[in-house]
Amino acid sequence: MTFRIDTTINGDRTVIDVDPTLTLLEVLREQLLLSGTKEGCGVGECGTCVVLCDGEPIASCLVLAGDAAGCSIETIEGLADSGELSDVQRAFVRTGALQCGFCTPAMVLTATALLREDAAPDAEEVKKALGGILCRCGAYPKILEAVLEVSGEGA
Amino acid sequence: MTTYVGNRVARVDSVDKVTGRAVYGVDVALPGMLHGAVVRSPYPHARIVSIDTSAAERAPGVVAVATGKDFPHLFGAAIKDQPFLAIDRVRYVGDPVVAVAATSEREAQYARDLVRVEYEELPAITDMQMALDDDAPLVHPDLHTYERGGHEIVPHTNINTLYHFERGDVDAAFAEADHVFEAEYSAHALSHVTLEVHVAVAQYDTYSGDYTLWVTTDRPYFLRDDLAGGLGVDGSKIRLKVAQVGGSFGAKGVPIAEAIAVMLARKTSGRPVKVELTREECLIASQLRVPAIMKLKTGVTNEGFMIARSADVLWDSGAYTAYTVGVAIRGSQTIVGPYRIPNVKIRSRQVYTNKAITGSYRGYGTTQVTWACESQMDEIANELGIDPVVFRLQNGYEEGDPYLNGQIMHGVGLRETIETARDEIGWGSVERKPAPHLRRGKGLATMIKPTLTPSSSNVVINLGQDGRVQVVCAAPEVGSGQDTVLAQMAADAVGVPIDVVSVPATDTALTPYNGPVASSRTTYHMGNAIVAAGAEIREKVLGLAADFFGTDADYLEMYDGEIRDENGELLITLKDLLARHQSEGYALTAGGRYSSTGSPLLKANPGEEWISSIFWMLCTQAAEIEVDTETGVIRVIKVAASADVGKAINPMTCEQQVEGGVVMGLSNGLFEDFKIDNGRIENASLVDYKVATIEDMPEIVPILVESVHNEAPFGAKGIGEPAAAATPPAIANALFDAVGIRIRDLPITPEKVLAALAEKAATEPGD
Repeated sequence: MTFRIDTTINGDRTVIDVDPTLTLLEVLREQLLLSGTKEGCGVGECGTCVVLCDGEPIASCLVLAGDAAGCSIETIEGLADSGELSDVQRAFVRTGALQCGFCTPAMVLTATALLREDAAPDAEEVKKALGGILCRCGAYPKILEAVLEVSGEGA
Repeated sequence: MTTYVGNRVARVDSVDKVTGRAVYGVDVALPGMLHGAVVRSPYPHARIVSIDTSAAERAPGVVAVATGKDFPHLFGAAIKDQPFLAIDRVRYVGDPVVAVAATSEREAQYARDLVRVEYEELPAITDMQMALDDDAPLVHPDLHTYERGGHEIVPHTNINTLYHFERGDVDAAFAEADHVFEAEYSAHALSHVTLEVHVAVAQYDTYSGDYTLWVTTDRPYFLRDDLAGGLGVDGSKIRLKVAQVGGSFGAKGVPIAEAIAVMLARKTSGRPVKVELTREECLIASQLRVPAIMKLKTGVTNEGFMIARSADVLWDSGAYTAYTVGVAIRGSQTIVGPYRIPNVKIRSRQVYTNKAITGSYRGYGTTQVTWACESQMDEIANELGIDPVVFRLQNGYEEGDPYLNGQIMHGVGLRETIETARDEIGWGSVERKPAPHLRRGKGLATMIKPTLTPSSSNVVINLGQDGRVQVVCAAPEVGSGQDTVLAQMAADAVGVPIDVVSVPATDTALTPYNGPVASSRTTYHMGNAIVAAGAEIREKVLGLAADFFGTDADYLEMYDGEIRDENGELLITLKDLLARHQSEGYALTAGGRYSSTGSPLLKANPGEEWISSIFWMLCTQAAEIEVDTETGVIRVIKVAASADVGKAINPMTCEQQVEGGVVMGLSNGLFEDFKIDNGRIENASLVDYKVATIEDMPEIVPILVESVHNEAPFGAKGIGEPAAAATPPAIANALFDAVGIRIRDLPITPEKVLAALAEKAATEPGD
């Protein structure tokens, strides 16, 4: 059994038939082949599966795909689809704010959402915004540096 | 002259990673791919009475079911003691028993739940002291029959590793010492928590009998051999293609998902099978850091010189040995620390228990012994009224000192790491009481670690007609930035711009043998191989140019893709030179090999050469903390982490390793704590097993010390492991400085802090 959802993914209207028991994460990765969104635990504990839903970071493993109907979903693939890296992506590259890279899409998207809300967050605000995403490599110092660098540019 | 080495070159993998294009093991999807699921033991120790897979086999979508008896071979790095799936007996909660492959993950999980296994529970060894009891049940009654390497075991006991080291006369030196300090320390089990779970895809070729796997591993050739052992085939029948690795830290070396995937693949008619563990499975049934109990005794003179140390270390391998034997032997040696102590005696024993498998974990035993050594160093210094920094400096190794086995140590920047960390943290000054219930303190700890010796690395460098350079080697990028570092060294060794250099993904069918991406050995070993191959390519190019210009190659040089004469005049670019051979087609290739075998640097006392290390890693950390005396919570304010890297090929990636090591060390030391009841891990989730987040991050100041190492590529040693080891003892020593309490068993939890504060208040009412 499937049902049809009408949603926007990375700016494109997307109408798809989904299994109602699947999560948004599963549909993004397996049905839409947007594998940039990662699964680290599947139960909302690690934060690696973050996507933006109407601009807000959400754990896509905790959301049924059906609940994305009518929403605008942004994944990491949408940030540089013109072939140009975004400011946040460029700052991550420049400062070395990644190691194994598995948490990077979630970090980049969450930082992007924060900077859209507040062009010049301070260190504490950045830490609070990114506090739900684990990075076992411990890239945190350079992630903070990268986001503050963009924050400075925005100020 | 170097163009790239020594510079903060942006990571070559960074664009793929910030755009989500990087393909990890979990992203591998092949046509016709099946999915696997595993039935695991619910008991720490039990006999398998019967297995009924009939209902599972009839379930929708099921293609293959495997049990232990299908693959009755044993594998293991030092002791072949482990089957892919349990045979007759399960030895820990999570031990894999039956595997199922079906057309979807859900079908596989549904079928798995239909498997019926009947067990008869056996008495279990649930802690390592219990394993030593005379009448202890045996986890492996057949230990003495297992194929194994040259190390010592104690047959018919649970002791799978026994190691002794002795130098000088410890008993006499203890008698002579003015002060003798004795205490017991313990280090706990830790999970690597790689954010990418354990995953593998395997395919079996029913015609050739060959296996192909898509894996995420840090040691492709070791993994291949373990898989061959478990399958009972030759290693040449197995090809590993390595995807991006979503974190390793030593986790991705032994067959875990890989073992299940190859078995299931063997039982299908050529369909690929993907096995992706859940996070819970990773926490209970991959591998953990080896827990250790360390008794340490040190004899010191009135002047603060250490003259004797004895150590008795007990390690817990869990149910199977995997990579733990090396941890128990190599790790126990470094409990002496980076100090000149003339009389040393070490006994190391490792036991089987009915607990989760343990193994290599960033530092390979060093994190455990550094905790004991550096805690005791602080205790001795404080007791004798000597500054802990001075105490370390006056006992610490200097360039040219002999190691335990007589090896003359080379490239020893210990003193500089201690002094720079001390200065950065502002040693000696501290704001004691920012608030009535908040107390501050500073602590310092250092460490030493050898690298895997001897070992070798091989590389093939190709220069194509198009001017592109490929560095073909089996050194998977596990996140440490090493593709970038290898590309930097290759660009300078050949003399080309870095943007024409690529490091293709590891594929054991194409990439020549390399030791593991472990033991912080890749920059040094693969770097040396690259320098050799790169020089050969450059020589061939200059020969080509010399022919063309009718001159001698000795007068030519190439940097950044430009060929110049002895006056620095640009003659031709590499691209143009190669273009002149367009019609015939042209490619240059060179192989490079480095092995530490036979290096004069390894010379040592006869029979003890194997203890030598081709380079030594040294890292010192100083921490400032604040402890809340009402809650027991420790906040780490700042860590100054100074690492002797030999030469920073890329200061940015070196800083990443140092900063990441501090974050991991802090997390290991303060937060991560398995609750284990009767062998069962009860908090197998990332909510209940807490890992440090960005909000827990202190100010971290990485300091790179560059000692000179003459046999190293551009002088570079290794950095991946040492940065995580010194953090917990630096924090514990700062805690002592703040409030005068000593925690000797990891982790340093608020409960332990409060208990120690209460105990101190009871004995010293005046404080």
